[in-house]
Amino acid sequence: MLTMLEEVVLLAVDEQTGGLRSTREFGTAYALVGALFFDLALARKIDTDTETIHIVDREPTGNAMLDRVMAGMADKPQLTTVRDWIEEIFLRRDDLEGEALGSLIGQGVLRHEKTKRLWIIDVERFPIVNNRPQRYVKARLAQAILTDDIPDTRDIMLVSIAEQCGLLSYVLSDTQLNSRQQRIQTLCNLETISRKVSDAIAGLDASRQQSIGKIV
Amino acid sequence: MEPDSDAPAHPGGGDMIESKEETRGAWVVVAVKGRADAEAADQLEATLRAAVGQHSKVAADFSALDYISSAGLRAVLQAARTAQMTAVEFAVCGMSASVKKVFDMSGMHHVLTIHGELPC
Repeated sequence: MLTMLEEVVLLAVDEQTGGLRSTREFGTAYALVGALFFDLALARKIDTDTETIHIVDREPTGNAMLDRVMAGMADKPQLTTVRDWIEEIFLRRDDLEGEALGSLIGQGVLRHEKTKRLWIIDVERFPIVNNRPQRYVKARLAQAILTDDIPDTRDIMLVSIAEQCGLLSYVLSDTQLNSRQQRIQTLCNLETISRKVSDAIAGLDASRQQSIGKIV
Repeated sequence: MEPDSDAPAHPGGGDMIESKEETRGAWVVVAVKGRADAEAADQLEATLRAAVGQHSKVAADFSALDYISSAGLRAVLQAARTAQMTAVEFAVCGMSASVKKVFDMSGMHHVLTIHGELPC
């Protein structure tokens, strides 16, 4: 089974070209941190309440990335809120996307292509080798959003991260997304981690607007 | 009001929460006591799902629940999902102020039936 982080990164791969797509460059980085925390929550390693986050089981998961994050959390007990930890992982600038892509290549879902544009610029692509996992992710997103059924926990998390990465428009039409906006917001709001990722993205947007205002 | 069971869901110890099931009219009320956190989430989900698997109207009485974390909320939501899939009426009732605050922040009322009082 793919991790939440791998599922979201896979969703960002254009099935036609193998290019990576995202509509919210900075927001995506925060959302991928959220995916990492969801993976830890699904592995029953962390728990959250309305503000705080804590480790509930220190046994390694066997996933190097998740275990590295958990070890980092254990080393900084002074950071207790979900927001603190989203910022902390974001500022470490770990290449979460790159590690997830590497794992997807290792699992035979993608392959890596490097070409030159204008003989100089490196262009990386990740053509899909096995399209079933991406189709499965898209089908679960469509089911979670287009019906009023209570989704599985993983699918609630997936909707919120895909929304925050700006990737839902690659799964559903504008008409579908507009008509189901309330449903998407409801699902995104259910999880503390999603709400705090949204807060972090909003804070980033506000500080960027302030910076632009000062320059202008 | 007939108490059906007053025993912990998992006899033998190690329970993080205590639950008690009783029938009130058409409803089966599962009263949950303790802390619904990551350690207790599996037990909470199993308790609620077991009731949903056996009855057509199940109310989770959270008036003695002291605390609920994200893992606890997920457990409740997945029990509600099972109820929805099997056409069982499921409601959460009687939450303390602190637990209600968590439900409100998560917007759980959009996906769950929530009553201030027991529905029976």
